[in-house]
Amino acid sequence: MAAGDLVLTGLMAVLLVGIAALLTRIENWRSYTPLAGGGTATGETVVHREKPAGIVRWLTTVDHKDIGLLYGVYAVIAFAVGGIMAMLIRLQLVTPGGALLGANAYNSILTSHGITMLFLFGTPIIAAFANYFIPLLIGADDMAFPRINAIAFWLLPPAALLIWAGFFLAPVTENMIEPAQTAWTMYTPLSVEQTNPGVDLMLLGLHLSGVAATMGAINFIATVFTERAEEVTWANLDIFSWTILTQSALILFAFPLLGSAIVMLLLDRNLATTFFAVEGGGPLLWQHLFWFFGHPEVYILVLPPMGLVSLILPKFAGRKLFGFKFVVYSTLAIGVLSFGVWAHHMFSTGMDPRLRASFMAVSLAIAIPSAVKTFNWITTMWNGRLRLTSPMLFCIGFISNFIIGGVTGVFLAAIPVDLVLHDTYYVVGHFHYIVMGAIGFAAFAGIYYWFPVFTGRMYQRTLGKAHFWLSMIGTNVTFFAMLALGYLGMPRRYATYQFDGAIAPLAQVQTYHLLATVGAVLLFVGQLIFVWNVVQSWLEGPKVEDGDPWDLERDGMLDREFQWFDRKLETAVTDGGEDEEQSALTGARSDD
Amino acid sequence: MEEQPGLSDQYRMSSPWPVFVALGLALSEIGVFIGLFPVAVFGLILFGGSVAGILTESGYATRPWPTLVGIGVLLAVLAALVAVLQLPTSAFTLANVGEGPLFTRLVAVVVAGAVMVAMGGAGSVAEQTKV
Ligand code: HEM
Ligand SMILES: [Cu+2]
Repeated sequence: MAAGDLVLTGLMAVLLVGIAALLTRIENWRSYTPLAGGGTATGETVVHREKPAGIVRWLTTVDHKDIGLLYGVYAVIAFAVGGIMAMLIRLQLVTPGGALLGANAYNSILTSHGITMLFLFGTPIIAAFANYFIPLLIGADDMAFPRINAIAFWLLPPAALLIWAGFFLAPVTENMIEPAQTAWTMYTPLSVEQTNPGVDLMLLGLHLSGVAATMGAINFIATVFTERAEEVTWANLDIFSWTILTQSALILFAFPLLGSAIVMLLLDRNLATTFFAVEGGGPLLWQHLFWFFGHPEVYILVLPPMGLVSLILPKFAGRKLFGFKFVVYSTLAIGVLSFGVWAHHMFSTGMDPRLRASFMAVSLAIAIPSAVKTFNWITTMWNGRLRLTSPMLFCIGFISNFIIGGVTGVFLAAIPVDLVLHDTYYVVGHFHYIVMGAIGFAAFAGIYYWFPVFTGRMYQRTLGKAHFWLSMIGTNVTFFAMLALGYLGMPRRYATYQFDGAIAPLAQVQTYHLLATVGAVLLFVGQLIFVWNVVQSWLEGPKVEDGDPWDLERDGMLDREFQWFDRKLETAVTDGGEDEEQSALTGARSDD
Repeated sequence: MEEQPGLSDQYRMSSPWPVFVALGLALSEIGVFIGLFPVAVFGLILFGGSVAGILTESGYATRPWPTLVGIGVLLAVLAALVAVLQLPTSAFTLANVGEGPLFTRLVAVVVAGAVMVAMGGAGSVAEQTKV
């Protein structure tokens, strides 16, 4: 141990000296002029660029658009990692005995899949859109706190490394540090009893990602409140900004709680406290704390995608969003109600039946504002001039999948139904209809819709449509099969299912597992096409020359971000040359 | 003027600090919670130093040194407080460093705080004598 400590000390010392040296090289600490508003008037050091070149630019940027892109790239990488894990899970389950993984490996991958998708893909992909587009949509120069914005992003790469740490460390530590096998809900006492340090690392990673989300939320609230252009009022604030504002408020109340609960769990694990021990707070305390965060978290993940759909759908329906005000009100209503439903995840724990009934009532009530939105989207399309572009297809797919996901949620919110279906694949089907079928689809809609803005190029439309149809069919085959598996009684989170025929009809169960895997393969192929389309079009796609690639002017729906894009294209043309694009754009702004 | 402009004077849209604030926080958490003494100490110093740096850069503070001293004092006092409130006096021995899980962690925080105070103090003294 002493030798190990020595090595670690040396390593840390070298790191610190290296960082200090690097910082003194690139940064002159004496030259700071407080609140430097632009160029320093020192002759030769004229400021004509706003960012350094190369990799340093990306490491040091505090520009909201760059940070948005960083978030986007990060989220897509996480989506790929989580997706590969999902494929492993599905392939494993084609045979009752398990096709390729041992039980421990299966549990590790299941745990990481959930956490990766929710915390490393879901939250960051939303932050990507919000960072890039909220300032543009509300006419702000940047976020209220650009540096905090950058800090929040840079907390995420270490968070991912920590969450995945067990996979890297198990081979080099002879399985002393393994990936966590707690499932994403980390229920005690299981999560306290697993002494594996990989669990601690994962908890720390989650904690960091929570800190990042909270910092981002504070930033968005401050930005929407204080940085709006004069002509942007509360009355004409766009729907995406409304949902991000509500989401940020939810984050502000939910994530610090998760952070505290995680710290308590870490203390229970490492310092023998008894927060969740039977002789202390009791194991159920964890479930209450976790779901008090966990249910708002699902709305944290779904509200901004709803905002994206509310923003994009009208553009291709040729009609304004139907009942705009009510969509905003229902967003706020969901935000408030989402804190009053958490115990619907705990109906079968033996909690007080009277309490249980009240949670059932609120859970059923939350379906109302969700339905308001759904009807508004459908009415927006009614008699509209629909243009079935890729973003529009994904919006329509969102609505379709959200209906199935939502209705199954309402079923689960009814106590008697839940007691039968709890911890079966029905629940897995329910939330995947929403997390993949709705949240994922809205992210794709956003990526295709704004592709011209953030790349200056157009994606390949045929590939976009192939991506949509494979995703739509794949999602419905996979997750509908899971709903059926749930009805058959197949419990969730098992690496194998060689059970007694009295529990569930094995032949049917295997058939539906097979179907789910076939659907997953379709989904996977669709995502390969997506990645190819994005990468290739970004590099080689046709340059967009028109500031209104979607022909939105015709219906008077050209929002601020496309107007900004149009100005950017024009300045680039008058100045000529790729290289000057950046400075031409910002030159006008740098002396304000 | 023999002074070279730094990165964040040259470029309005960049700052070298956020990456290091994030890295510092990550290392501090790993160090303190997993109980890796050197990682905790260096992580906290990196974190405190970067916070002092970023506050100075963005004009919230004129010099980094007072911030550094402040963070150091805050950390040391907090850790000492936890130690006094949570541990019996018999735990406060040199031999217990590296033994008692809580005590070792708290000592790491106190050491990091002390180093920050020393760095901040040395920095401001050096600066005042040079100019
Ligand atoms: C119409 C509103 C909704 C209702 C009434 C509802 C209801 C429920 C209920 C009662 C459960 C617990 C099932 C059980 O474990 O026995 C559940 C689970 C779940 N729901 Fe929903 N839900 C709704 C919307 C959503 C949304 C929008 C999302 C995601 C963004 C979501 C994600 C989840 C997740 C992740 C779980 C499973 C948690 C776990 O045990 O791992 N739900 N839902
Ligand atoms: Cu819930």
